[in-house]
Amino acid sequence: MMPKKLNKDQIQKIILSTLGFVGLIYCYFNFFLGPLNKSRETMTAAIADVDAKTASSKTELKKTANLELQAKEATSRYEALKHTTADGAPIAWFPPKMRTFFADRGIDKVTARLESSGDFKQPELSDWIKDTWAIELPESDYSDLGKAIADLENSEPLLAIHRVAIHAEPEQPQYQQVSLSAQTALLKQ
Amino acid sequence: MALQLNLLHEEFTQERQRKRDPLKLGIIALIAFGAILFLYYGWNAYQTIQIKSRLNASEAEWQKVEPKVTAAQKRATELRQIIDSTKVLDGLIDQRFYWAPFLAKVAQCVAPNIQLTTLEGSLIENDNSVAVSIEGLAAAREPRAAAEEFRQLLAEQLEKSYADVKVAFKNLEDLDTMVNLGGLPTPSARFIVTVTLNRQEAGPTKAAEPAKPIAHTK
Repeated sequence: MMPKKLNKDQIQKIILSTLGFVGLIYCYFNFFLGPLNKSRETMTAAIADVDAKTASSKTELKKTANLELQAKEATSRYEALKHTTADGAPIAWFPPKMRTFFADRGIDKVTARLESSGDFKQPELSDWIKDTWAIELPESDYSDLGKAIADLENSEPLLAIHRVAIHAEPEQPQYQQVSLSAQTALLKQ
Repeated sequence: MALQLNLLHEEFTQERQRKRDPLKLGIIALIAFGAILFLYYGWNAYQTIQIKSRLNASEAEWQKVEPKVTAAQKRATELRQIIDSTKVLDGLIDQRFYWAPFLAKVAQCVAPNIQLTTLEGSLIENDNSVAVSIEGLAAAREPRAAAEEFRQLLAEQLEKSYADVKVAFKNLEDLDTMVNLGGLPTPSARFIVTVTLNRQEAGPTKAAEPAKPIAHTK
């Protein structure tokens, strides 16, 4: 049979039990389940992030592999163009190179001097330098000159002749005095 | 009706009160609820451990892929730079004006009664054109006609390979002195021809295809 009224002691015990229950709930959610759920959410987000990074990286790897195939020709061409620049300062090797080049084609006493040097306007050519050379050929036969210029234009793709001046020598009509202004694109050392 | 006397009334009441003690019942309920919460926590912790192991696996995979990706990105940048640089360099190469074919064309136009003394040519920047000045002597009974013949032939030859060709006299004057042409004294004229043309051209001459020399007259 239930007592109709709770006595003071019983009320206190009920209040104590209720407080214990509330304390348990509070501690459980704040110190156990809450941090656990938070850490789980953080880890889930981290997994999504890492998975996304891995997936995009794999795509990136595929793209690079494709780019490597596409750039094969460009790479070999670029390497060939790079090899047109010899080691060392251009002023040290370009004049002798020109002297030898023209001497091999029957044109002696060739001199070359650097007129100007500067960067290209194009940002793609930041690794390249634009040099302008004055090449003097004091004694040249027109036929030899034509062949030599053709050879030069064919063998030096990064050399462009911007100015040609040919003067007949009054005392030696078989020879011409020739001045060339050539612009070269050389790899920066 | 028989009279029943409960002589243990107090003991029964105490026993009943002990059984229905709110604190005891509360502790039992609390323990039961705590056990349920513990089980639920255990289930959550198990799931979290599984997620942790998935995260570890994902991170391990990323650790494997990351160096490759970094290298690939670096290589891709390098390749793009190479492609762009090659494109611009090819543009420079393609835009070159080849002088050897031009000199060959000039040489083809020089007849035995024409002597060229000066040829000066230069590329006009930002205009894609070439300007050339040719100075020489023409010797004939009609030296001006010989010079005009040279001008016309030069224009005709250059038009075959270049666009927008203009060949014009800048100067043409008779000379008082006679020149020796084929053993005969012949009247002569000095001329200056200016040539302008567009750089558009078929391509460079082959090295084996020499330019013809300028003929000299005496």
